[in-house]
Amino acid sequence: MTSSKTIRAAAVAAALSLAAAGCTTAPSQPAPPAPSQAEADAIAAGTLSALAPANLNKARPAPPFDLTSNWFIDVSQDPKAWHFYLPPLPKLTAAAQKEYDTSMKYDAEGKVYKDDIGQCWPAGMPLIMTRYWPMAMIQKPTAIYMISGFMNSVRIVYLDGRKHTDLDVIVRTYNGESIGEWQGNELVVDTIGFRGDHHWMDQDGPAIPAGEKLHIVERFRMVNDGKQLEIEFTMTDPDHWEGEWKSTKRFNRVVDVDIQEVSCLPDLNAHIKSTTSKTQVFQ
Amino acid sequence: MKKVLWSAVMAVALVAPALAHHSPAAFDRTKKVTLVGTVKEFRWQNPHTWIEVEVPDEKDKSKQVVWGVELTSPTYLIRAGWKSNIIKPGDKVTVVVNPVRSGEPSGIFVSMTLADGRELFERPARLGTPESK
Repeated sequence: MTSSKTIRAAAVAAALSLAAAGCTTAPSQPAPPAPSQAEADAIAAGTLSALAPANLNKARPAPPFDLTSNWFIDVSQDPKAWHFYLPPLPKLTAAAQKEYDTSMKYDAEGKVYKDDIGQCWPAGMPLIMTRYWPMAMIQKPTAIYMISGFMNSVRIVYLDGRKHTDLDVIVRTYNGESIGEWQGNELVVDTIGFRGDHHWMDQDGPAIPAGEKLHIVERFRMVNDGKQLEIEFTMTDPDHWEGEWKSTKRFNRVVDVDIQEVSCLPDLNAHIKSTTSKTQVFQ
Repeated sequence: MKKVLWSAVMAVALVAPALAHHSPAAFDRTKKVTLVGTVKEFRWQNPHTWIEVEVPDEKDKSKQVVWGVELTSPTYLIRAGWKSNIIKPGDKVTVVVNPVRSGEPSGIFVSMTLADGRELFERPARLGTPESK
Protein backbone atom coordinates (compact mmCIF):
# COMPACT_ATOMS: atom_id res chain seq x y z
CA MET A 1 0.00 0.00 0.00
CA THR A 2 1.42 3.38 -0.94
CA SER A 3 1.79 6.14 1.63
CA SER A 4 -1.06 8.14 0.07
CA LYS A 5 -3.34 5.11 0.28
CA THR A 6 -2.26 4.58 3.88
CA ILE A 7 -3.13 8.17 4.74
CA ARG A 8 -6.48 7.88 2.95
CA ALA A 9 -7.30 4.64 4.75
CA ALA A 10 -6.41 6.23 8.09
CA ALA A 11 -8.65 9.20 7.34
CA VAL A 12 -11.55 6.92 6.43
CA ALA A 13 -11.00 4.89 9.61
CA ALA A 14 -10.94 8.07 11.70
CA ALA A 15 -14.16 9.29 10.09
CA LEU A 16 -15.86 5.95 10.72
CA SER A 17 -14.70 6.06 14.33
CA LEU A 18 -16.15 9.54 14.78
CA ALA A 19 -19.40 8.45 13.17
CA ALA A 20 -19.61 5.42 15.47
CA ALA A 21 -19.14 7.75 18.42
CA GLY A 22 -22.11 9.80 17.29
CA CYS A 23 -20.04 12.63 15.86
CA THR A 24 -20.40 13.99 12.33
CA THR A 25 -18.20 16.25 10.29
CA ALA A 26 -21.07 18.78 10.09
CA PRO A 27 -22.17 19.48 13.65
CA SER A 28 -25.53 21.17 14.08
CA GLN A 29 -25.25 24.94 13.79
CA PRO A 30 -26.14 27.22 16.68
CA ALA A 31 -29.01 29.60 16.14
CA PRO A 32 -27.85 32.47 13.92
CA PRO A 33 -27.01 35.64 15.78
CA ALA A 34 -29.19 38.69 15.38
CA PRO A 35 -28.01 41.04 12.63
CA SER A 36 -25.44 43.55 13.76
CA GLN A 37 -26.25 47.25 13.52
CA ALA A 38 -24.12 47.47 10.39
CA GLU A 39 -26.04 44.54 8.87
CA ALA A 40 -29.37 46.10 9.88
CA ASP A 41 -28.31 49.33 8.16
CA ALA A 42 -27.26 47.37 5.06
CA ILE A 43 -30.57 45.47 5.02
CA ALA A 44 -32.46 48.79 5.24
CA ALA A 45 -30.36 50.21 2.41
CA GLY A 46 -30.66 47.07 0.30
CA THR A 47 -26.89 46.64 0.21
CA LEU A 48 -26.39 43.56 2.37
CA SER A 49 -23.36 41.67 1.10
CA ALA A 50 -23.68 38.11 -0.14
CA LEU A 51 -21.15 37.06 2.48
CA ALA A 52 -22.65 38.96 5.42
CA PRO A 53 -23.57 36.48 8.20
CA ALA A 54 -27.13 37.82 8.28
CA ASN A 55 -27.48 36.96 4.60
CA LEU A 56 -25.73 33.59 4.77
CA ASN A 57 -27.77 32.54 7.80
CA LYS A 58 -31.15 33.47 6.34
CA ALA A 59 -33.52 30.48 6.13
CA ARG A 60 -33.73 29.18 2.55
CA PRO A 61 -34.86 25.93 0.91
CA ALA A 62 -32.01 23.49 0.44
CA PRO A 63 -30.61 23.73 -3.11
CA PRO A 64 -30.98 20.61 -5.30
CA PHE A 65 -27.21 20.35 -5.84
CA ASP A 66 -23.91 21.88 -4.85
CA LEU A 67 -21.64 23.08 -7.63
CA THR A 68 -18.61 23.30 -5.36
CA SER A 69 -15.87 21.54 -7.31
CA ASN A 70 -13.31 22.01 -10.03
CA TRP A 71 -14.85 21.61 -13.49
CA PHE A 72 -13.40 21.22 -16.95
CA ILE A 73 -15.12 21.32 -20.32
CA ASP A 74 -15.84 17.83 -21.68
CA VAL A 75 -14.16 17.36 -25.06
CA SER A 76 -14.43 13.56 -25.13
CA GLN A 77 -17.07 13.59 -27.86
CA ASP A 78 -15.64 16.49 -29.86
CA PRO A 79 -12.18 18.08 -29.45
CA LYS A 80 -13.76 21.38 -30.44
CA ALA A 81 -16.54 21.20 -27.86
CA TRP A 82 -14.96 24.12 -25.99
CA HIS A 83 -15.88 26.40 -28.90
CA PHE A 84 -19.18 28.20 -29.27
CA TYR A 85 -18.89 28.71 -33.02
CA LEU A 86 -20.01 25.15 -33.72
CA PRO A 87 -23.20 24.76 -35.77
CA PRO A 88 -26.03 25.44 -35.66
CA LEU A 89 -25.26 29.13 -35.59
CA PRO A 90 -27.94 31.82 -35.71
CA LYS A 91 -28.18 34.18 -38.65
CA LEU A 92 -25.61 36.88 -38.03
CA THR A 93 -26.24 40.56 -38.57
CA ALA A 94 -24.32 42.31 -41.33
CA ALA A 95 -21.81 43.71 -38.84
CA ALA A 96 -21.12 40.35 -37.23
CA GLN A 97 -21.05 38.56 -40.58
CA LYS A 98 -18.37 40.97 -41.76
CA GLU A 99 -16.18 40.05 -38.79
CA TYR A 100 -16.92 36.36 -39.33
CA ASP A 101 -15.98 36.50 -43.00
CA THR A 102 -12.86 38.56 -42.38
CA SER A 103 -11.66 36.19 -39.68
CA MET A 104 -12.20 33.18 -41.94
CA LYS A 105 -10.33 34.86 -44.78
CA TYR A 106 -7.30 35.41 -42.55
CA ASP A 107 -7.66 31.94 -41.03
CA ALA A 108 -7.39 30.45 -44.52
CA GLU A 109 -4.17 32.42 -44.94
CA GLY A 110 -2.79 31.01 -41.69
CA LYS A 111 -3.19 34.29 -39.86
CA VAL A 112 -4.84 35.12 -36.55
CA TYR A 113 -7.55 37.81 -36.66
CA LYS A 114 -8.02 40.09 -33.64
CA ASP A 115 -6.83 37.60 -31.03
CA ASP A 116 -7.75 39.95 -28.21
CA ILE A 117 -7.57 37.21 -25.59
CA GLY A 118 -4.01 36.51 -26.63
CA GLN A 119 -3.31 40.22 -26.06
CA CYS A 120 -4.55 39.85 -22.46
CA TRP A 121 -8.11 41.11 -22.91
CA PRO A 122 -10.50 39.00 -20.78
CA ALA A 123 -12.16 36.02 -22.41
CA GLY A 124 -15.52 37.10 -20.96
CA MET A 125 -18.83 35.28 -21.07
CA PRO A 126 -19.61 32.82 -22.46
CA LEU A 127 -16.06 31.86 -23.48
CA ILE A 128 -14.67 31.94 -19.95
CA MET A 129 -16.87 28.97 -19.05
CA THR A 130 -15.35 26.72 -21.70
CA ARG A 131 -11.81 28.07 -21.84
CA TYR A 132 -9.46 25.12 -21.90
CA TRP A 133 -8.57 25.58 -18.24
CA PRO A 134 -10.17 24.18 -15.07
CA MET A 135 -12.70 26.34 -13.25
CA ALA A 136 -13.24 26.28 -9.50
CA MET A 137 -16.80 26.85 -8.30
CA ILE A 138 -17.57 27.55 -4.67
CA GLN A 139 -21.24 27.52 -3.73
CA LYS A 140 -22.57 29.42 -0.73
CA PRO A 141 -26.27 29.85 0.08
CA THR A 142 -26.20 33.40 -1.28
CA ALA A 143 -23.83 33.19 -4.23
CA ILE A 144 -21.66 30.94 -6.34
CA TYR A 145 -18.10 32.12 -6.82
CA MET A 146 -16.51 30.90 -10.03
CA ILE A 147 -12.79 31.35 -10.52
CA SER A 148 -11.36 30.29 -13.83
CA GLY A 149 -7.89 28.85 -14.00
CA PHE A 150 -7.61 31.12 -17.02
CA MET A 151 -6.28 34.44 -15.72
CA ASN A 152 -8.17 33.80 -12.47
CA SER A 153 -11.18 35.49 -14.05
CA VAL A 154 -13.91 35.80 -11.42
CA ARG A 155 -17.60 35.37 -12.03
CA ILE A 156 -20.18 35.68 -9.24
CA VAL A 157 -23.72 34.34 -9.51
CA TYR A 158 -25.89 35.90 -6.80
CA LEU A 159 -28.56 33.67 -5.29
CA ASP A 160 -29.81 35.94 -2.52
CA GLY A 161 -32.84 37.29 -4.33
CA ARG A 162 -31.35 40.57 -5.48
CA LYS A 163 -32.39 42.09 -8.80
CA HIS A 164 -30.14 43.20 -11.65
CA THR A 165 -28.45 46.56 -11.18
CA ASP A 166 -30.04 49.35 -13.21
CA LEU A 167 -28.31 49.61 -16.56
CA ASP A 168 -27.66 53.32 -16.04
CA VAL A 169 -25.41 52.62 -13.08
CA ILE A 170 -24.13 49.12 -13.77
CA VAL A 171 -20.39 48.78 -14.24
CA ARG A 172 -20.13 46.83 -17.45
CA THR A 173 -17.77 43.87 -17.41
CA TYR A 174 -16.73 40.98 -19.64
CA ASN A 175 -18.36 38.36 -17.42
CA GLY A 176 -21.44 40.52 -16.81
CA GLU A 177 -23.76 40.56 -13.81
CA SER A 178 -25.30 37.17 -13.00
CA ILE A 179 -28.42 36.53 -10.94
CA GLY A 180 -29.35 32.93 -10.23
CA GLU A 181 -32.55 31.24 -9.12
CA TRP A 182 -33.24 27.60 -8.28
CA GLN A 183 -36.08 26.21 -10.40
CA GLY A 184 -36.87 22.58 -9.62
CA ASN A 185 -33.71 20.58 -10.19
CA GLU A 186 -32.04 23.34 -12.18
CA LEU A 187 -30.21 26.55 -11.49
CA VAL A 188 -31.27 29.29 -13.91
CA VAL A 189 -28.79 32.15 -14.27
CA ASP A 190 -29.56 35.42 -16.02
CA THR A 191 -26.58 37.54 -17.08
CA ILE A 192 -26.47 41.07 -18.52
CA GLY A 193 -24.28 44.16 -18.21
CA PHE A 194 -21.54 43.24 -20.65
CA ARG A 195 -18.80 45.31 -22.19
CA GLY A 196 -19.01 45.38 -25.95
CA ASP A 197 -15.43 46.15 -26.89
CA HIS A 198 -12.80 43.44 -27.39
CA HIS A 199 -15.51 40.94 -26.42
CA TRP A 200 -16.06 37.85 -28.55
CA MET A 201 -18.50 34.98 -28.57
CA ASP A 202 -15.63 32.99 -30.02
CA GLN A 203 -12.27 33.36 -31.69
CA ASP A 204 -9.54 31.06 -32.99
CA GLY A 205 -11.30 30.41 -36.28
CA PRO A 206 -14.54 32.27 -36.87
CA ALA A 207 -14.61 35.50 -34.87
CA ILE A 208 -18.10 36.47 -33.74
CA PRO A 209 -18.39 39.66 -31.70
CA ALA A 210 -20.39 40.12 -28.49
CA GLY A 211 -21.92 43.47 -27.59
CA GLU A 212 -23.46 45.42 -24.74
CA LYS A 213 -26.90 43.99 -25.54
CA LEU A 214 -25.71 40.43 -24.98
CA HIS A 215 -28.09 38.58 -22.68
CA ILE A 216 -27.32 35.05 -21.53
CA VAL A 217 -29.66 32.65 -19.74
CA GLU A 218 -28.01 29.46 -18.49
CA ARG A 219 -29.71 26.38 -17.13
CA PHE A 220 -27.34 24.41 -14.91
CA ARG A 221 -28.14 20.76 -14.21
CA MET A 222 -26.22 17.79 -12.80
CA VAL A 223 -25.96 14.69 -15.00
CA ASN A 224 -24.29 11.28 -14.76
CA ASP A 225 -24.77 11.03 -11.00
CA GLY A 226 -23.06 14.35 -10.43
CA LYS A 227 -19.94 13.42 -12.38
CA GLN A 228 -20.87 15.95 -15.01
CA LEU A 229 -22.39 19.39 -15.08
CA GLU A 230 -24.50 20.41 -18.05
CA ILE A 231 -25.15 24.02 -18.94
CA GLU A 232 -27.68 24.99 -21.59
CA PHE A 233 -26.91 28.48 -22.89
CA THR A 234 -29.56 30.64 -24.53
CA MET A 235 -28.00 33.84 -25.82
CA THR A 236 -29.37 36.91 -27.56
CA ASP A 237 -27.63 39.98 -28.92
CA PRO A 238 -29.71 41.78 -31.56
CA ASP A 239 -26.71 43.79 -32.70
CA HIS A 240 -24.90 40.61 -33.76
CA TRP A 241 -27.42 37.84 -34.51
CA GLU A 242 -31.10 37.21 -34.96
CA GLY A 243 -33.17 35.43 -32.33
CA GLU A 244 -31.77 32.96 -29.83
CA TRP A 245 -28.38 31.27 -30.08
CA LYS A 246 -28.53 28.00 -28.15
CA SER A 247 -25.59 25.86 -27.11
CA THR A 248 -25.28 23.07 -24.54
CA LYS A 249 -21.95 22.20 -22.94
CA ARG A 250 -20.93 19.50 -20.51
CA PHE A 251 -18.23 19.76 -17.89
CA ASN A 252 -16.39 16.99 -16.03
CA ARG A 253 -15.84 17.07 -12.30
CA VAL A 254 -12.07 17.22 -11.78
CA VAL A 255 -10.53 16.13 -8.48
CA ASP A 256 -6.84 15.91 -9.30
CA VAL A 257 -6.11 19.47 -10.39
CA ASP A 258 -6.45 22.79 -8.60
CA ILE A 259 -6.43 26.19 -10.21
CA GLN A 260 -3.34 28.33 -9.74
CA GLU A 261 -2.44 32.01 -9.88
CA VAL A 262 -2.38 32.90 -13.58
CA SER A 263 -1.80 36.44 -14.79
CA CYS A 264 -1.21 38.05 -18.15
CA LEU A 265 1.93 39.84 -16.99
CA PRO A 266 3.32 42.77 -18.96
CA ASP A 267 6.33 40.79 -20.16
CA LEU A 268 4.44 37.64 -21.07
CA ASN A 269 3.89 38.29 -24.74
CA ALA A 270 7.42 39.60 -25.18
CA HIS A 271 8.45 35.97 -24.80
CA ILE A 272 5.36 34.29 -26.22
CA LYS A 273 6.44 35.39 -29.64
CA SER A 274 3.53 33.98 -31.59
CA THR A 275 1.33 36.67 -30.06
CA THR A 276 3.44 39.41 -31.62
CA SER A 277 4.39 37.61 -34.83
CA LYS A 278 3.49 38.63 -38.36
CA THR A 279 0.66 36.08 -38.23
CA GLN A 280 -1.37 38.50 -36.09
CA VAL A 281 -3.91 40.82 -37.76
CA PHE A 282 -5.60 43.53 -35.71
CA GLN A 283 -7.08 46.06 -38.15
CA MET B 1 31.28 20.64 -32.13
CA LYS B 2 27.73 21.69 -32.23
CA LYS B 3 25.67 19.84 -34.74
CA VAL B 4 23.04 21.91 -36.40
CA LEU B 5 19.91 20.22 -37.59
CA TRP B 6 16.90 22.02 -38.91
CA SER B 7 14.44 19.71 -40.49
CA ALA B 8 10.88 20.28 -41.54
CA VAL B 9 8.83 17.14 -41.71
CA MET B 10 5.18 16.54 -42.32
CA ALA B 11 3.33 15.23 -39.30
CA VAL B 12 -0.25 14.07 -39.27
CA ALA B 13 -1.59 14.01 -35.76
CA LEU B 14 -4.69 14.96 -33.91
CA VAL B 15 -3.50 17.70 -31.62
CA ALA B 16 -5.49 18.26 -28.47
CA PRO B 17 -5.75 21.89 -27.43
CA ALA B 18 -3.20 22.87 -24.83
CA LEU B 19 -3.74 25.17 -21.92
CA ALA B 20 -2.96 28.42 -23.68
CA HIS B 21 -3.85 32.08 -23.40
CA HIS B 22 -3.85 32.77 -27.10
CA SER B 23 -4.98 31.36 -30.40
CA PRO B 24 -2.86 28.42 -31.62
CA ALA B 25 -3.78 29.22 -35.21
CA ALA B 26 -0.42 30.95 -35.70
CA PHE B 27 1.36 27.59 -35.56
CA ASP B 28 1.70 25.19 -38.45
CA ARG B 29 0.83 21.89 -36.82
CA THR B 30 1.81 19.99 -39.96
CA LYS B 31 5.45 20.98 -39.67
CA LYS B 32 8.15 20.23 -37.17
CA VAL B 33 11.43 22.07 -36.74
CA THR B 34 14.25 20.53 -34.72
CA LEU B 35 16.40 23.05 -32.89
CA VAL B 36 19.82 21.96 -31.66
CA GLY B 37 21.18 24.73 -29.51
CA THR B 38 21.79 26.27 -26.12
CA VAL B 39 19.26 27.40 -23.54
CA LYS B 40 19.33 31.20 -23.26
CA GLU B 41 16.49 31.49 -20.74
CA PHE B 42 13.87 29.24 -19.20
CA ARG B 43 10.85 30.70 -17.47
CA TRP B 44 8.69 28.42 -15.31
CA GLN B 45 5.41 30.31 -15.03
CA ASN B 46 1.70 30.55 -15.79
CA PRO B 47 -0.07 30.70 -18.14
CA HIS B 48 2.85 29.43 -20.21
CA THR B 49 6.29 28.13 -19.53
CA TRP B 50 8.70 29.28 -22.21
CA ILE B 51 12.23 28.56 -23.35
CA GLU B 52 14.53 30.73 -25.42
CA VAL B 53 17.01 28.63 -27.37
CA GLU B 54 20.00 30.02 -29.22
CA VAL B 55 20.77 28.16 -32.43
CA PRO B 56 23.26 29.01 -35.17
CA ASP B 57 21.76 30.99 -38.03
CA GLU B 58 21.15 28.68 -40.97
CA LYS B 59 22.54 31.27 -43.41
CA ASP B 60 25.42 32.61 -41.34
CA LYS B 61 26.57 30.10 -38.75
CA SER B 62 28.74 32.69 -37.03
CA LYS B 63 25.50 34.30 -35.82
CA GLN B 64 22.96 33.03 -33.33
CA VAL B 65 19.18 33.09 -33.72
CA VAL B 66 17.03 33.10 -30.59
CA TRP B 67 13.98 30.88 -30.93
CA GLY B 68 11.03 31.38 -28.62
CA VAL B 69 9.44 28.08 -27.58
CA GLU B 70 6.01 28.12 -25.93
CA LEU B 71 4.87 25.39 -23.57
CA THR B 72 1.81 24.68 -21.49
CA SER B 73 1.32 25.44 -17.80
CA PRO B 74 3.73 24.01 -15.20
CA THR B 75 0.73 22.20 -13.70
CA TYR B 76 0.89 19.71 -16.54
CA LEU B 77 4.63 19.77 -17.12
CA ILE B 78 5.16 18.58 -13.53
CA ARG B 79 3.07 15.52 -14.32
CA ALA B 80 5.31 14.80 -17.27
CA GLY B 81 8.44 14.85 -15.10
CA TRP B 82 9.48 18.47 -15.49
CA LYS B 83 10.99 20.61 -12.72
CA SER B 84 11.74 24.29 -12.59
CA ASN B 85 15.48 23.56 -12.67
CA ILE B 86 15.45 20.83 -15.28
CA ILE B 87 17.28 23.13 -17.67
CA LYS B 88 19.26 26.31 -17.14
CA PRO B 89 20.99 28.87 -19.35
CA GLY B 90 23.95 27.31 -21.11
CA ASP B 91 22.52 23.79 -21.27
CA LYS B 92 22.70 22.00 -24.61
CA VAL B 93 19.26 20.86 -25.76
CA THR B 94 17.45 19.56 -28.80
CA VAL B 95 13.94 20.95 -29.02
CA VAL B 96 11.25 20.03 -31.55
CA VAL B 97 8.57 22.64 -32.24
CA ASN B 98 5.65 23.34 -34.54
CA PRO B 99 6.76 26.70 -36.02
CA VAL B 100 4.71 29.83 -36.58
CA ARG B 101 3.51 30.14 -40.14
CA SER B 102 5.24 33.49 -40.69
CA GLY B 103 8.71 31.96 -40.69
CA GLU B 104 9.79 33.87 -37.59
CA PRO B 105 11.90 32.00 -35.00
CA SER B 106 8.99 30.98 -32.81
CA GLY B 107 7.17 27.73 -32.20
CA ILE B 108 5.04 25.69 -29.89
CA PHE B 109 6.71 22.86 -28.01
CA VAL B 110 6.57 19.25 -29.13
CA SER B 111 9.46 17.57 -27.31
CA MET B 112 12.93 18.18 -25.89
CA THR B 113 16.00 15.98 -25.50
CA LEU B 114 18.49 16.88 -22.79
CA ALA B 115 22.26 16.44 -23.01
CA ASP B 116 22.02 13.26 -20.92
CA GLY B 117 19.58 11.73 -23.40
CA ARG B 118 16.38 12.18 -21.41
CA GLU B 119 13.42 13.04 -23.60
CA LEU B 120 10.66 15.29 -22.28
CA PHE B 121 7.13 15.88 -23.48
CA GLU B 122 4.16 17.87 -22.29
CA ARG B 123 1.60 15.88 -20.37
CA PRO B 124 -1.08 14.67 -22.77
CA ALA B 125 -4.30 16.58 -22.16
CA ARG B 126 -6.26 14.23 -19.92
CA LEU B 127 -8.44 17.03 -18.65
CA GLY B 128 -11.56 17.40 -20.67
CA THR B 129 -12.32 13.72 -20.76
CA PRO B 130 -14.81 11.91 -18.52
CA GLU B 131 -12.10 9.80 -16.87
CA SER B 132 -10.71 12.98 -15.37
CA LYS B 133 -12.63 12.86 -12.13
